[in-house]
Amino acid sequence: MGYVSRRSLLRASLGMAAVGTLARPHIANAAAKTATVWWTQGFIPSEDTAFRKLVSDYEKASGNTLNYSIVPFAPLRQKEVSAVTSGVVPDVMEDADFSFTPLNAWADKLVDVSDIVDTQKSKFSDIALLSRNNYNNVTKQRSFYGVPMKSAAVPFHIWKSLVEKGGAKVSDIPNKWDPFIDFFKPLQAKLREQGMRHTYSYGWEVSTIGVDPINTFNAFMIAYGGKDLVTKDGKLHAQDPQVREAVIKALTKLTTDYKDGYVPPGVVNWNDADDNNAFHSKLCVIDFDGSLSTELALIHEKEQYDDILTHGIPLGNDGKPLPAQVGIFGAVIPKGAKNVDVAKEFLKYAIEPKVLNEYLKGGLGRWAIPMPEVAKNDPFWLHSGDPHRATYIEETLFGPTMPLYEAYSPAAAQVNAEHVFQVAWADIVNNGMTPQAAADKAFKRAEAIFAKYPIQQA
Amino acid sequence: MDGTQVFQTASAATQALPGLRTRRRFWRGELRGSEYTWALAFVIPYVVVFLVFVVYPVAFGLWMGSEPKLYTELFDDPVYQMSIVNTVLYLAIAVNVKMFLALLLSGFFMRPGWWTKALLMVFVLPWAVPSMPIFTSMHWMLNGDYGFINNALWTIFHVNGPAWLDSRWLAFGSVIVCYIWKWMPFWTVIFIAGRMAIPQEIYDAAKVDGATGVRAFVHINFPILANLYLVCTLLSTIFTVGDFNTPFFISGGGPAFSTYVLATLGIRDAFDLSQPRLGVAAVMTALPLVIPLVILLMRKLKTSQVQL
Repeated sequence: MGYVSRRSLLRASLGMAAVGTLARPHIANAAAKTATVWWTQGFIPSEDTAFRKLVSDYEKASGNTLNYSIVPFAPLRQKEVSAVTSGVVPDVMEDADFSFTPLNAWADKLVDVSDIVDTQKSKFSDIALLSRNNYNNVTKQRSFYGVPMKSAAVPFHIWKSLVEKGGAKVSDIPNKWDPFIDFFKPLQAKLREQGMRHTYSYGWEVSTIGVDPINTFNAFMIAYGGKDLVTKDGKLHAQDPQVREAVIKALTKLTTDYKDGYVPPGVVNWNDADDNNAFHSKLCVIDFDGSLSTELALIHEKEQYDDILTHGIPLGNDGKPLPAQVGIFGAVIPKGAKNVDVAKEFLKYAIEPKVLNEYLKGGLGRWAIPMPEVAKNDPFWLHSGDPHRATYIEETLFGPTMPLYEAYSPAAAQVNAEHVFQVAWADIVNNGMTPQAAADKAFKRAEAIFAKYPIQQA
Repeated sequence: MDGTQVFQTASAATQALPGLRTRRRFWRGELRGSEYTWALAFVIPYVVVFLVFVVYPVAFGLWMGSEPKLYTELFDDPVYQMSIVNTVLYLAIAVNVKMFLALLLSGFFMRPGWWTKALLMVFVLPWAVPSMPIFTSMHWMLNGDYGFINNALWTIFHVNGPAWLDSRWLAFGSVIVCYIWKWMPFWTVIFIAGRMAIPQEIYDAAKVDGATGVRAFVHINFPILANLYLVCTLLSTIFTVGDFNTPFFISGGGPAFSTYVLATLGIRDAFDLSQPRLGVAAVMTALPLVIPLVILLMRKLKTSQVQL
C-alpha cells in the first residue's frame, strides 16, 4: 500500500466529487421510465387509497415507476407555484386550485395535453372540456393544458333535525331561490328559544379567504341573473346593467343576512374548512359548500350522515332552472418535466373510463366522474341508495351547469384569487359602503385586472 | 522574437516579481506552506455554505423583484397600501410598547426573593413555546362565538364579548397584544442581564444621595441601559419587519385583508395569487426601512460609549 499524502488525498477527493457530479445526469437518464407525480391529499382516507391503487395498477400494466407524493392542497399549491417559478418541476401535478392552470397556461408554463384529452374526448362532459381549454398568451390560442379527472358542483347541506326542531318540515322547503333561502331565516329564533344560543340560520362564507366565498357569491349572483359576468370569449361584462344589478342584489342579500345576525359573525374570517366544521357542530342549519365532503366526513356516524339533506340549486325566482357552476380538477404536465412520455402515458391510462371510474368511486363520490355516460351506466353514482350521492351527481352532471369563470379567462382566476367581489361585502359590512358603491369599486378593480389579460378571439 | 525583445520581457518579469510576492503575502497573511492549504480546506466549506445559502438566495430574491412593472402593479393594489400602513403601525406600536414594558418588568424581576424567580420562570414560557401552537390557541381563544375569552365573559359577567377578530382594529389590536405577550419575556431577560451588569456600588452611592425608586431608575438605570435599549429596539424592529407568524396565525390577515403586513402580503401574492415575483417585490419594499436600521445598528455597535 503506497503512502497517501495530504495533497494526494485532497486531489482524489476533489476528483471523486467532480466525477460524481458529472456522472449523475447519466445515471438519472438511464432510468427514463420513472415519473414524479404530485397529487392532492383526499378529504377522506379512501381517496388516497384509491389513488395508490391507481398508481400501482399503472405500474403493473406498464412496467414504469411513479414516484408520487400526496400533499394537502394548501402546501401543494405552494409547492407547485415554487416549482414552476424555479423550473425544478415534477412530471405530473394535480392542480391544487382553480386558478393554477389558467394562469400558468397563459404564461406558457404547461405542456399542451390535447393528445391525452383526445383519447377520451367523446366521453367527457362539455363542461370538463371547456374548463381545461385555456388560453396561452404566447401561442395566442386556446388548447388543453389540463387533463380533466374530477368534477364538483356546490350543493346545499341542511340539518333535517334542526329544520324540524325549528318547527318546520323538510317537505315544505320551497324550490325557488329567494323563498328557499328565506325559509331558513325564522328557524334561528325558534332554535334559540330552545337554548341553542349559538345556532344561526346560515353558514354562508362571507369571507375573503379560499374558494367557498367565491362559490357562494357566484351562486347568488347567477340566481339574480348575473351569469354573464364573464363570457366564453373571456370578456368581463362590468357595464352590462343586468350583471351589475345581479352583483348588487347578491351583495345586498348576503350582507343583509350577515348584518341582521343570521350568519355567525366569525364567518368574515372563515377559510374553506371552517364552514364544514361549523355545520358539523350545528352552528348553522344550512350551508353551501363544494362537493360531498361535508357529508362524507360523517359517513361512519350513520345517524348524523342520514340527518343531512343534500339539496341541489333551486329554481330561479322566475321558476326557470338555474345553472350550477361546476369546477373541474385534473392533472397538468409542467414545461421542463423530464419524463413527459411516461407522464402522458400515465394520464392516458388514468382517464380510461373504467380506470377513472374505479378511482373516483374509491373517493365515495366526493368527486363526480366528468363522463356522464359512465355515471349513467354504473349504479354506484345514481342508484346506490346513498341518501346524498344521486342528488349531487344530478346537480353536477345532469342538471343545467356552467364552468367556473376561470375557464374563460386567466383574469377571472386573478379576480377570484384576489377575492375582488368578496372584498366588496367586507366594504359593506365593515366600512359602511353601500352595495352600489362596493360593486363599483369591485368592478373597477376587476376591469383593471382584465386589462392585463387581453385574449385574442379566434 | 529577437534577442533584445527576450531581454526586455525577462527584465519586465523580474520587475513584476516583487508585486506578485506582495499580493501572495497579502492573500496568505502570515501563513506558510501547509498552513495555508489547511486554512483553505477549513475555510472553503464555510465560503461555499455562505455563497449557497446567503448570497444566492439574496441575489435570487433581488433578481426576482427587479422588474419595475412589479412595483407599479404593487402600488395599484389596495391591499398593499393597507399593508404598508399596518406594517408601520405594527412596528411603531408593538415593538415600542413591548420594549418599554420589558424594561420596566426587568426591574420588577430584579427584586430579591424566590417567588420572583419562580414567577420569571412562568413568565418566559410564552417565549419558550413554539409560535404556531401558541398562536393557534390564541386564535381560538379570541373566537367571538365559542372562544374561551367570550365564554369566560359570559359565564362570569353575563356579557357578550366583542367579536375580537371580525373588525379591523380589534383584530389588529389582538395581533399586537399577542405579539407583545409572546416576545416581551425574551427582551425582559435581556434587560435583566443588562441590569445585573450595573455595579451595586452605584446604587449604594445614589442611595446615600437620596436617589431611590423612580429617581434611581431615571438617573442610574436608564442612562446606563440607554445604549442597550436602543440596540435591542433596533434589532427587534428588524426582526419584526419579517414577522409572519403573529399576524398570520392570530388574524389570518383578516377581516378582508385589513390586518395584512408586508410579510404576510408577500406570501399571499406569491402563493394565493400565484405571482412569486410580486410577493418578493412586496417584501423588497421593506428594504428602504430595513437598510437604514441595519446601518444605524452597526454604527451603534461600533461606537457605543457605555458597554454592558
